[in-house]
Amino acid sequence: MSEDIVVVENLSKTYGKQVVAVDGISFEVKKGEIFGFLGPNGAGKSTTIKILTTLLEKTSGKATIDGLDVDVDQSKVRRIIGYSSQEVGVDDDLTARENLMLQCSFHHIPKEKAKAKVTELLQTIRLAEAADRRLRTFSGGMRKRLDLASSLVSDPKILFLDEPTTGLDPQSRQDIWDYIIKLNRQGMTIFLTTQYMEEADRLSSRLCIVDQGRIVAEGTPNELKAKIGADKITVRFKSADQAVCQKAKELLSKIEGIDAVGQCGDGLISENGLNIMTKNGSTLVTQVVRILDGAGIDVEQLNLSAPTLDEVFLKLTGKTLNVVERKESVGSRGMMGRRR
Amino acid sequence: MMEMLSEVVAIFSRWNKKLVRQPILIFFNLIQPLVWFLLFTQAFSAIGSIQGFKDLTGTSSYITFFTAAVIIQTIASSALNTGIGVVNDFGSGFMDKMRVAPINKSSILFGRLFSSALTTVVQVAIILVIGLALGVNIASGILGVLVIFVLAAFFGMAWSGISLFVALNTKNAETTLSIGLLTTFPLLFLSASVMPLGLLPSWVQEVAKVNPFTYIAEAFQSLIIKGFVWQNITNSLIAILIVGVISLGASILLFRRKIS
Repeated sequence: MSEDIVVVENLSKTYGKQVVAVDGISFEVKKGEIFGFLGPNGAGKSTTIKILTTLLEKTSGKATIDGLDVDVDQSKVRRIIGYSSQEVGVDDDLTARENLMLQCSFHHIPKEKAKAKVTELLQTIRLAEAADRRLRTFSGGMRKRLDLASSLVSDPKILFLDEPTTGLDPQSRQDIWDYIIKLNRQGMTIFLTTQYMEEADRLSSRLCIVDQGRIVAEGTPNELKAKIGADKITVRFKSADQAVCQKAKELLSKIEGIDAVGQCGDGLISENGLNIMTKNGSTLVTQVVRILDGAGIDVEQLNLSAPTLDEVFLKLTGKTLNVVERKESVGSRGMMGRRR
Repeated sequence: MMEMLSEVVAIFSRWNKKLVRQPILIFFNLIQPLVWFLLFTQAFSAIGSIQGFKDLTGTSSYITFFTAAVIIQTIASSALNTGIGVVNDFGSGFMDKMRVAPINKSSILFGRLFSSALTTVVQVAIILVIGLALGVNIASGILGVLVIFVLAAFFGMAWSGISLFVALNTKNAETTLSIGLLTTFPLLFLSASVMPLGLLPSWVQEVAKVNPFTYIAEAFQSLIIKGFVWQNITNSLIAILIVGVISLGASILLFRRKIS
């Protein structure tokens, strides 16, 4: 119990009478971990993070941060959390330093201490040189880094990040990831929502997959991938002869540890090939090659791939994440944010 | 209490910085009042020689009389921006950033209001300088000008409450702007600010008597034309108090409810 910093029990949020945004979810976040909340647009991620950060009142259920109820002990909760919203809550008319100093004054940090803290943070996020420039000239990545830093001025016990890299270019995304990992190594507990499989996979020590306000799966990225139960070995033969492929299929099916061999040509365009599903692909690859070689079947190409969270999500919800549509809507929001 | 004071100061200086960096905003609000000041008073200068005008107002210069109306227009126009600034904060995510911080929610509004009041005073000062250039004399002198600033600051905050209320309800800049603009002009013409009360048709007089603009206008008019007429100043303070308690009270309650 003592190592859980966030405890959520049967949490629900209903807008009006009809719209159920969060539908009775329960989970715990352990101290020191990066906890991911992965799901598509409208899954209830932002609603959940807003309830945990005291921005939104829950309809029912229980949610505590470090033992403090998010509704009852609002002001105490606010003293121990940091929050970085999807919208990037920085003031474009101010400089980077002024933005951070303003956050310090919101947290009642004495001026001298604040100055030192801000200088240190600006160094860490590599904005020391741009510190006294107004944000109008900043790139999306710079603004996001500043936003992250501004949620850290009070040395929070836990940091809440709502889609930290949505709408960022790959380099900026990598920067943010590196920064998040660095913070976590220094002991910061992080709760992040994301709609990117790769992000959840790379960053989170544990994650929940959410869809339509419910948690559909929970575990470490590897545990979740293991639920799919398989690595995938794809073999492509030099010969286009169907008989060769059938023979290979027969031989490979006999190998112990192979769960399934697909149909010839399955998933391959105008090529003779096979998909092989197994629990431990890496150890079986050599055996596959040896057996095919022994039978005189020439292999043109062989791929071993681990299942991705994409496949987990697909299996659990029967659909893929529609990231493209999401990107567009974020783009227009970003423009609105800058138009001040 | 000390914490809240430092929060208000931080938010107050944030808005001031924003304004100083976009000084165009200060003048943007002044365009409309200035058009009235420069053109309307010229076209309607004959009003000053209407029978009874001088007896009622103490001057036969319409532009001198009308200066009070221009000041009120400036205050109302400046007050509009109070709400719009808050709408922008909701849109940009900055409001959430402030809400997550351990600050008193009222600080967010007070910081904004005080900065608006300061802006209003600066704008009124510009109007008065232009008035002087146009030949308007201020009978109550420097002290009177200070009283005008104080009344402008207080009325500015009280009137800002209305734009805040609309802004918090709609979270939409266009609505906030249009409701503000739509109320300012009718209220101006249904008050003693463009015509002395005695020259208004009787039904307009009845409306004007419950219109706060009338009392603010009469206070400004007497300070500009006659000097210190304490009855008028007291009346304007009462009007400001009534408007302020209602509009700011409602805004603060709404704000606390909306964001908690």
